[in-house]
Amino acid sequence: MFSDLATLTDAVTLSVDGQPVKARAGETVAACLLRAGVPYNRLTPVSGARRLPYCMIGHCFECLVEIDGIGNRQACLTLVREGMKVRRQAGAPPALEPSVP
Amino acid sequence: MSMTAPLPDADVIIIGCGPSGMAAAVTLAEAGRSVIVLDMQPAPGGQIFRSLEANLCDTSPAGQSLLAALGPAYRAGTDLIRRFRACAEIDYRPQTTVWEVRPDGTVGWLQGMNAGYVRGRQVLLAHGAMERPVPFPGWTLPGVMTAGAVQTLLKAGHLKPSGRIVLAGTGPLLLLLANQLHQLGVKPALVGRTDRLSDSVRASRHLRPDGLLPLVKGLGWLGRLKLAGVKSVTGLENLAAHGAQNVESVSFTAGGKRQTLPCDLLIVHDGIVPAIDIPNAAGLRLQWDGPNASWRPATTPDGLGASTLPPELSAGPCVLRVTGDARSIGGADAAIAHGKVAAQAILAELDHGAGPSGDALRAVDKALSVRPFLDAAFPPGLSQNLPDDDTIVCRCEELTAGDLRAKIRSGFRNMDALRGESRCGMGPCQGRSCMVTAARLLQDETSAAGCPPTFRGRPPIRPVPLGAVATLSGLDPRATIRLTLEDKPENASEDTVNAPAE
Repeated sequence: MFSDLATLTDAVTLSVDGQPVKARAGETVAACLLRAGVPYNRLTPVSGARRLPYCMIGHCFECLVEIDGIGNRQACLTLVREGMKVRRQAGAPPALEPSVP
Repeated sequence: MSMTAPLPDADVIIIGCGPSGMAAAVTLAEAGRSVIVLDMQPAPGGQIFRSLEANLCDTSPAGQSLLAALGPAYRAGTDLIRRFRACAEIDYRPQTTVWEVRPDGTVGWLQGMNAGYVRGRQVLLAHGAMERPVPFPGWTLPGVMTAGAVQTLLKAGHLKPSGRIVLAGTGPLLLLLANQLHQLGVKPALVGRTDRLSDSVRASRHLRPDGLLPLVKGLGWLGRLKLAGVKSVTGLENLAAHGAQNVESVSFTAGGKRQTLPCDLLIVHDGIVPAIDIPNAAGLRLQWDGPNASWRPATTPDGLGASTLPPELSAGPCVLRVTGDARSIGGADAAIAHGKVAAQAILAELDHGAGPSGDALRAVDKALSVRPFLDAAFPPGLSQNLPDDDTIVCRCEELTAGDLRAKIRSGFRNMDALRGESRCGMGPCQGRSCMVTAARLLQDETSAAGCPPTFRGRPPIRPVPLGAVATLSGLDPRATIRLTLEDKPENASEDTVNAPAE
């Protein structure tokens, strides 16, 4: 859906769901994920539908991902950083892991 | 515990660092006033001049062709950003979101994992605009994005769209983006406009000499697209996006004929409207702009807002002003002009000037003179008719127009009751995408007229991590007590019902 204007120079590497992904230094996590071509940023908590960024300026909250262990971060407002750990969100997380008797 | 009011952190707090915020900050700082500027972005510029500093430094061929495609209107922000950066007195705080604003000048902020309150003797809201929400069938599918989003990806991500691209909607930004894409070698499959020739003809009576330049520019865009062989239709209606997991095709009606096109990326745009999240949550009076089908804060010509909160809930007079596109859509030139006016009014309020000069006020009028023409030539299109029952209105909670209509018919006949019952507006976006449609549905179902009602905005209007709340700085003890009392139920003898377990 999106391609680079020029080959990446000055790249940083972050981890997306455990896989290394290159990003332009200074860009947002949302831009990085769109370049990588992920089919969705998150699955909705209500129906599990796929969502990608819609507005890219912090209004729509469709780009929410987990960043460095904290959920529901706006990928379009967060800049990439070397070593950053990004996880796409799969619907509503369980409040507590089921306890094993 | 001391109950005295905390000292202000700055003379003026400005929210937003786009054209109007920067112009106001520079004017105030040059007059010797202390200014804090809070902005969500990593660099000054707002949406229009986003990443301009970085892109000017990029001397690569790709960087140069991007600058050329973005055009002179983008580079026009260079001087203002340079002046803003040169003011060492400005306390500029990038990547900072605002989650509360009170009429007395208290502002709640979040930067990373730190949050707190700052207080200004005066506060200027320069937070800008948003694209008009446009609920249509399939608008939540991956592969549907706004024109502003695609432009942001160009400016700040150096990403261009690829594949089969359809642009649909109305307004200058849609045509500008189509031209920018064409210059970067991306040929859209279709530019589908909801506006019609009759709109332009009707609009022509609003043309003023100052508005001719934008008109010539717009005709140039249309001409270039035609020359490039980009297909275009006008009078587009009933847009829908189709696909199982993402957009695979779009359909629409034009010239009385239903058409379907294969599509990988559907770019929509229905004009821009003032962002009212902060004014609404701050309790400022809003007014309805009929022709633009949008709210805007009710302000004096120099931007002073009016608090609707009862006096016992607001300490002292309202010190909030609104400027730029957050006050009234006018584009960068009008925003810069009004930012100066608002700053001069603030200086007068701080005993330091005579108020807005005649020149400054005339500059605003001049920059706004083309708006009546643009408003008439590009009326809201995609959002003109209320959505069908099956169309999602609230993207966060996945509620359709039918869900909301049913709730309204069953008695939830005001916005807050509708929100509480349905969860419409309670998701992460806090009603930014759904509120205007929900309000129009409510008015339609209840045959009401006048200014559509809003959800009552409550802090935090943007998410604040719990860890940041735990270390909140700058709390005002008086306000804490007042707010705690405010949130108690009105009726102390309210019945508590313990529902039996089922």
